[in-house]
Amino acid sequence: IKAYQNRTPERLMENTQDGNLGDWFKITVPYGIKYDKTWLMNSIQSHCSVPFTPVDFHYVKHLAQFFVQDASAASALKDINYKIFDEENQKIPIFVNTSAVPYSMCNKLEPEKMEQLKLTISKRYDVSQKALDLHKLRFDPDLLGHDIIIILNRRNCMTAILQTIKKNIPELLSLNLCKNKLCQLDGLSDIIQIAPTIKTLNLSKNELKSARELDKIKGLKLEELWLQGNPLCNTFPNQPTYVSAIRKYFPNLSRLDGQDLPPPTVTGIVDMDIIKPCKESFKGPETLKNLIFQFLLHYYLIYDSEDRESLLSAYHEEACFSLTVPYNSEDPALSNLCEYLKDNRNMKNLKDSDLRFQLLKHTKCEIVNSLCVFPKTQHDLNSYVVDLWAHTEIMLCFSVSGVFKEVIEVERKSQGSVRAFTRTFILSSGSNSSMCIVNDILTVGNARTEETQSAFSIPVPTPTFSSLSTLSQEQQEMVQIFSIQSGISLQWSQKCLQDNEWNYIKAAQVFATFKTQGKIPEEAFKQIS
Amino acid sequence: MGDKPIWEHIGSRFIQHYYQLFDNDRTQLGTVERTAIQGKAAIVEKLSSLPFQKIQHSITAQDHQPTPDSCILSMAVGQLKADEDPIMGFHQMFLLKNISDAWVCTNDMFRLALHNFR
Repeated sequence: IKAYQNRTPERLMENTQDGNLGDWFKITVPYGIKYDKTWLMNSIQSHCSVPFTPVDFHYVKHLAQFFVQDASAASALKDINYKIFDEENQKIPIFVNTSAVPYSMCNKLEPEKMEQLKLTISKRYDVSQKALDLHKLRFDPDLLGHDIIIILNRRNCMTAILQTIKKNIPELLSLNLCKNKLCQLDGLSDIIQIAPTIKTLNLSKNELKSARELDKIKGLKLEELWLQGNPLCNTFPNQPTYVSAIRKYFPNLSRLDGQDLPPPTVTGIVDMDIIKPCKESFKGPETLKNLIFQFLLHYYLIYDSEDRESLLSAYHEEACFSLTVPYNSEDPALSNLCEYLKDNRNMKNLKDSDLRFQLLKHTKCEIVNSLCVFPKTQHDLNSYVVDLWAHTEIMLCFSVSGVFKEVIEVERKSQGSVRAFTRTFILSSGSNSSMCIVNDILTVGNARTEETQSAFSIPVPTPTFSSLSTLSQEQQEMVQIFSIQSGISLQWSQKCLQDNEWNYIKAAQVFATFKTQGKIPEEAFKQIS
Repeated sequence: MGDKPIWEHIGSRFIQHYYQLFDNDRTQLGTVERTAIQGKAAIVEKLSSLPFQKIQHSITAQDHQPTPDSCILSMAVGQLKADEDPIMGFHQMFLLKNISDAWVCTNDMFRLALHNFR
């Protein structure tokens, strides 16, 4: 809509080329923004009995709009209202109204200006690289010398450029639109038909406010993209979120802002491949119990740390995650769950099917991005109640209930509410025989008073284990779990872990080796009373 | 399939059906339940022999996810009241599978009064 704000009275009087200035129609598709532009236009054109040329396709909020000049086309378009079905089997409404002349039509550049533009463009075109450099086009000396003002943010200017490209260099591979004050990409949306071969696009140092502008050009098979210097870059909390959001629009992207991107199947920093199902004794409940313990320990160690992104390697490519906050809207105490309510996907209340779909996080990148946004936590592993309720050769399904504390660092003292949660994981063994999470469903609510009080209270240590208190929270938890798993006392567990630099897996392996060699003394197995 | 993805559709209908059956006549749950471990009859027997006469469930929240092997994972959280006992919270998970064109529950996990989700 911004392109239309720049109209000045003189320009409106200018144009007389087109003959009939009247007879323009504006076609509106509500919620058209959710469709792929190419699909939408192809569907409309194939259903419409009269062929037409759409002009100035653009979006206004969720509406998709374009213009046609032909009255018979407009009438035919009226006829296909509610006749086209989308992928969700919804009928697509199409509204037709008369309209003023679309901007790019009533401000078309005169032929002489188009000629000069063609010359300017050929000067800026590198034939060997098939690259067109239009950066700061407004201030091109040739254009200024001929009094041609090309403001690319204006629809008519962008259309003129695209037409020139279409006529002369449709084989374009690289386009530089840096520093042209672009605040929307509606004008660029036709580029997909005009120059489909474009692989490199530079949109840096413009005024693009949201990554959703890229929706309008996502048909391009870009391999390299520059976006830095746009306000949209500041809308992302960190670099990985930014990268993965941009990659969604251009899956083949290998360079962003001049940096090589890692290949799409990212392996996390910490590999969760400690989870190896021991196929020989898979039926044993003890083995499964250990597996689950190890998984939970490892998962929550990472989850409670600064670096939740490492969880990427724990999830399957196509995993699903969703969050529910069951609550009664009249309960005022639950307003402090607002961090979670944003992602709340309670099917009972959520009627908007789009929102429901969006809130089901699918693919491991989306999932980890959502997890990174939740408040920092500290889970109380002692509070965990685990239910293993389904398992097969390749699948493990279990639920964990417990409490966690939200960590808000206020002057080095962590404060924060205690929440209760139930989380169900389905783990499946992947191709390399390590398990990964395929489904993750989480319910969060406020903890009951009793739960809050008993949370994080480590059992009172007997005098012989007073050294436990010099360990960190995580280390204490590791000792407890190691002791449960190995059957040796807390003191010995601590020693074993300490001797192995608190590498749980290594300690477990060392312990197992010593055990088979008969090197563990009897007293190590003495249980604490 | 309407305007909802299939797993939500099946999941919601299942939950509705399940709790309706449960509240009204638990002996009929045989048509719903089946697991690899215990078997239909044992489950229905167990559920029927639970020591209450009347029971009522009220669902506060539910959520559904598709699994990669085309099953549906459904979750229900809510409150129940058995006979004259006080209202308690519960949390239940179901794993639904499509077997010869009908959706059955292959696994079910029920937990009572874990958290105070109202």
